[in-house]
Amino acid sequence: MNKEQVKKLFLGGLGLIALLYVYFSFFLGPLNKSRDAVQAKIKDLQTKISTSKAEISKAAKLEETAHSATVRYDALRALSPEGAPIAWFPPRMKTFLSTHQIDKGTTRLETNSACKEKELADWSRYLWIIDLPQADFESLGNAIAQLENTNPLLSIKKLRIYAATDDPELQKAVFTAATIIYKK
Amino acid sequence: MPLQLNLLHEEILQHRQRQRDPLKLSLYAAIALGALLMLNYLWTGYRVLQGKSRLNSIQAEWNKIEPKVTAAQKRADELNGIIGTTNALDGYIETRFYWATFLEKVAHCVTPNIQITSLEGVIEDDKGLVTATLDGVAGGREPRSVAEDFRQMLLEQVGKEQPTVKVEFKTLEDLDTTVAVGGSNETTAHFVVTVGMEPFPKAATPAPTEHKARPKKEES
Repeated sequence: MNKEQVKKLFLGGLGLIALLYVYFSFFLGPLNKSRDAVQAKIKDLQTKISTSKAEISKAAKLEETAHSATVRYDALRALSPEGAPIAWFPPRMKTFLSTHQIDKGTTRLETNSACKEKELADWSRYLWIIDLPQADFESLGNAIAQLENTNPLLSIKKLRIYAATDDPELQKAVFTAATIIYKK
Repeated sequence: MPLQLNLLHEEILQHRQRQRDPLKLSLYAAIALGALLMLNYLWTGYRVLQGKSRLNSIQAEWNKIEPKVTAAQKRADELNGIIGTTNALDGYIETRFYWATFLEKVAHCVTPNIQITSLEGVIEDDKGLVTATLDGVAGGREPRSVAEDFRQMLLEQVGKEQPTVKVEFKTLEDLDTTVAVGGSNETTAHFVVTVGMEPFPKAATPAPTEHKARPKKEES
């Protein structure tokens, strides 16, 4: 090889290096970058799709298992009629007591507050004082039994029954009932 | 060995030199390399296009699924909320104390020579305790033993359902007054009995059971 040829080879080598650099940096590089980005997006979406499918089937299963809870929840919610409890609870108690031959009775609201449990954020606790100045013990017992059996969200917290001085056949009764009522 | 004359020696040599020209060979190599690089570029480009088309189809699938999964997540949250609320309400319902059952037991224990003048009951939610105070008068030849019989019967009756029950006298004192029981005058004693029970101990919450209060039948 003569000097001219060596020079040409050297220049050729340099040209090749430049060509490879341009090829890898400006042609293949962006293409690979784009391909990697697409692959990453595909992987991400595939993960999302598979977890979503799992979540959809989980929700469907939950829908089946929660059926009884939903029915029960609706039934419990239906125990709270529309309107302010102070408007409907005392008349309801009056009607209820009159069906047990307890005609004289007053129901008044003592306190109401939000339930402490976070699951019961949509429910409020009401404390009512039910005052019965004339009640026959047997009728009262029957009334309390039916009240407790038909109102699952009602619980008697305090109860006082004592002899009425004017009529020995009748007793006076005062009880505090706590109710859990759905906030409409 | 016969002598051979190669008259084209110089021409062949020149031809060979032309063939071995490094510049020419490098040019061929460069062309081959360029072709390879071009093929690689095209192949990579093809794979990118293929990937993009796959991405589009997956994106379309995701676009279909996304509203469904959002709705499913929302519904699952709602259902979990409902389950939690129902469990909390069930817990409240199951840990109620039924006074009607207790009043029925008291009524069973009250004999003709016992008169209850006052009954007071309180539920202490924070301690899980139920206490009742019964104030009354016992009549008989030995009114104290009549009152004690009442206490024991009450303990036995209430203890059937509430094993933790405690029935104790708070007061038991003789009275000067007499009462007519069954046609004869009897001496009396005033008593105050306290009933304490823990129907739902905090440490061990009982499994939910159907516990219904029954209407009482007897009158005190």
